[in-house]
Amino acid sequence: MDEIRMEEDSADISGSAQKQGVADAWETVTAALMSPGCPVPEQGLWDSLALLSGEGLGRLLGGWLLETLQMRLSSAVVPEFWAELKQPENELEERGRAWVLLTAFKTLLGRLEPFLGGLERLESWQDEGRGSLCGPGPGGLQERAFTIIRALLLFSPSSVLQERVLEFYSRTFSVYMHQEGQAEDGVEAPEGPEGGVCPGCGVPSQQCWCKEALEQLKELSHILSKLQLLEWVSCEAVTSILHKLIEQRMEQHCRGEYERSFLLEFQTWLELVLGWLSKVFASEAEKDGLVPAPGAPVLLPIYVNMRIEELFSIIRDFPESKAAIEDLKFCLERTNQRQQLLTSLKSAFESRLLHPGVHTSDILTVYISAIKALRELDPSMVILQVACQPIRKYLRTREDTVRQIVAGLTGDAEGCTDLASELSRGDLVTLEMQDSDEEGADPEDWTPDPTDAVPDKMGSKRRSSDIISLLVSIYGSKDIFIDEYRAVLADRLLQQLNYNTAREIRNVELLKLRFGDSHMHYCEVMLKDMADSRRINSNIREEESRLSEEEQPPLALSSIILSSEFWPTLKEEKLELPPVVCQAMEAYTHRYEKLKAMRTLSWKPHLGSVTLDLELEDRTLTNLSVTPIHAAIILHFQDKSSWTLEELSVKLGAPKELLHRKLALWQQHGVLREEAGGRYYVVETGSSKEKMDRGVMLIDSDEERDSNTTTQSEQREEKLQLFWAYIQAMLTNLDSMTLDRIHSMLRMFVATGPVVTEMDVSELEIFLQRKVREHQLIMSAGVYRLPKAN
Amino acid sequence: MKVKIRQWNGVASWLWVANDDNCGICRMPFNGCCPDCKVPGDDCPLVWGQCSHCFHMHCILKWLNSQQVQQQCPMCRQEWKFKE
Repeated sequence: MDEIRMEEDSADISGSAQKQGVADAWETVTAALMSPGCPVPEQGLWDSLALLSGEGLGRLLGGWLLETLQMRLSSAVVPEFWAELKQPENELEERGRAWVLLTAFKTLLGRLEPFLGGLERLESWQDEGRGSLCGPGPGGLQERAFTIIRALLLFSPSSVLQERVLEFYSRTFSVYMHQEGQAEDGVEAPEGPEGGVCPGCGVPSQQCWCKEALEQLKELSHILSKLQLLEWVSCEAVTSILHKLIEQRMEQHCRGEYERSFLLEFQTWLELVLGWLSKVFASEAEKDGLVPAPGAPVLLPIYVNMRIEELFSIIRDFPESKAAIEDLKFCLERTNQRQQLLTSLKSAFESRLLHPGVHTSDILTVYISAIKALRELDPSMVILQVACQPIRKYLRTREDTVRQIVAGLTGDAEGCTDLASELSRGDLVTLEMQDSDEEGADPEDWTPDPTDAVPDKMGSKRRSSDIISLLVSIYGSKDIFIDEYRAVLADRLLQQLNYNTAREIRNVELLKLRFGDSHMHYCEVMLKDMADSRRINSNIREEESRLSEEEQPPLALSSIILSSEFWPTLKEEKLELPPVVCQAMEAYTHRYEKLKAMRTLSWKPHLGSVTLDLELEDRTLTNLSVTPIHAAIILHFQDKSSWTLEELSVKLGAPKELLHRKLALWQQHGVLREEAGGRYYVVETGSSKEKMDRGVMLIDSDEERDSNTTTQSEQREEKLQLFWAYIQAMLTNLDSMTLDRIHSMLRMFVATGPVVTEMDVSELEIFLQRKVREHQLIMSAGVYRLPKAN
Repeated sequence: MKVKIRQWNGVASWLWVANDDNCGICRMPFNGCCPDCKVPGDDCPLVWGQCSHCFHMHCILKWLNSQQVQQQCPMCRQEWKFKE
């Protein structure tokens, strides 16, 4: 103001008449600008303005006006606005609060209108090119005025404003959505339609203020846009409302629902929301010709977030959840969330699946679903490869993985039918990876791997999606699988009584399609052994039937005759069978030798099965199917009704612990009972007391069906032992070697041997470390050497 | 108590009655088969010479066919005659 005075003073010097004119003009202009109440004729104002700017005072006028505005605002308008907004405190209900909000802004507008009007007039005068009123600095007068208003008004905004605005917008939103007939499913009306509550504004219907609210919304939007405050006051509120609503809606509609697609539904819903938005930003839109459309970019990430969180369950439910997967696929292509998905899925696997409490077959089932689901989700298989890495790694540490997979393949595992059907689909996906780089694919069709692909020498063409190949490749080699399958097959064949191999033949044929003939060759020989055995048996039977009555063998013996080189290593157990059985076997061998010159039989007394009847004094047990050792035990009890464990052990040549376990079966049947001193008696008459004992016995019998073949880890152990010879030789020649060196040497020299390909460094290290503990090896400073022989 | 055995299903493996485990020509086990065969036993039998050495039949035949001058047992260099 002082400045203006000074300028005016300097103007005084130039002449009094002119001075008087300038002062009048100043009066006219300021009055016209400040008080719209006294209308100054347009022409008079223009003249005065021209005079002022002619005197060089135009610039001052702008400055003065803004200065006045600023003072007025900070001294009166702003405090008034805030006071009005806060004044009613808690007493009012929502409707009242909305009204207060609107009034506050109305008053604000009323206070500022004169300035704005004045500014507008100045601006238009200026726009007509009659002179410049702007001081130095960017922007026009109006723009600067609005900046000042915003700065002063919102310099220290109270949370009240934000709360009120949020509340108001939420309400008008629900009102709007309801009116559009889409506030569906009682989202906003928990009382139900008959509760007398307006679902839009949430008060009893007779007091409904829906209409009012919408009008208020319109008015408020208008005021705000006039003050150019819309963006500042509403944006935050609107965004947060949208976020909240979208999230809420997804929670309610989509969580746990994987069986249908939601994208379209959301599209229509969004259009509705946009309708409301255009109401909020109505005037803005008119001006700019566009409505801010936060639709898809806001919605998709929220949806994807939720789906990613649920991906584990979605995978578990696949293929029922196919719709969800497709939604997710669509969204992922548009949002940049692959990385998030990978991390989240990996950790979900780790926390929910890969711990000791989960059965291997369940892990496999989930893995199979994951393969199916993720190959839908990402045809490049990168997600599958990366996300399932922990599963594969974990499965490698489980002992029974291979057995479970093989059981699944052969359809033995309950619940795990996927694999069997996958196998019987029998498409010719050989496990031999195609090595040719060009598979006739058009180079034009080549697409680069996604950035998150694991760079490996395999390359994308090796990223298989075939379930069986993926499972088999967990161990990096199919030999382990073949071996395991052989073991399973051997078990199954040996437990059979009737040489019925139709199902096994089918499985072997199917596996041949995948693994190749040469790998399944051993299994084929095994099956052929079964067929041969049947023939030999019937031959021998026939021969026996020609014998006279007294020469008939005392025992109906049949046998499975194995080609030992082709069967997996069978567990060796010592067992002396009772003489009657031995004689039968000798007779059988004798006949076999006659049938096949220069060949003989080596019996495995502990293998096979026996069907027998037991006749006790007061009861008979018929058609019991037991193992040879059970039969041998009970046969001994036929001759002598009580045995101690020691006696039996000597007689049968089997360890006592084993016998103790096997005896439990007969105790269960109530045929034998144990008395003090480890003596077993035949229970000839079954009394109620014995029955009670039987109940007790059931508990500590652990008659599990043992596998006849050695387990996979035992076999592995054996193979590692084989390497030991090589390692010793190497260390003798080369004195000392590092772990890596030993590994690479083994790889080089034992490449033709059995399993070096599937042995990794860490496994070798564990093996060597054990040798160190056993003092067969010395390790110091990272190198291994043999201990000095002294 | 009386035990009546209805059926005893035993398990046995067959083996050649030979004085060695492996064939002296192909070094494969007798109870397996020669490198050209897939199936052991009847399809890949053993034969004995009068020198009492025995081989896979396919192996010794191959050997004998490759001998132009005189047919000898590869182990003991005696003249090879099949044992009747």
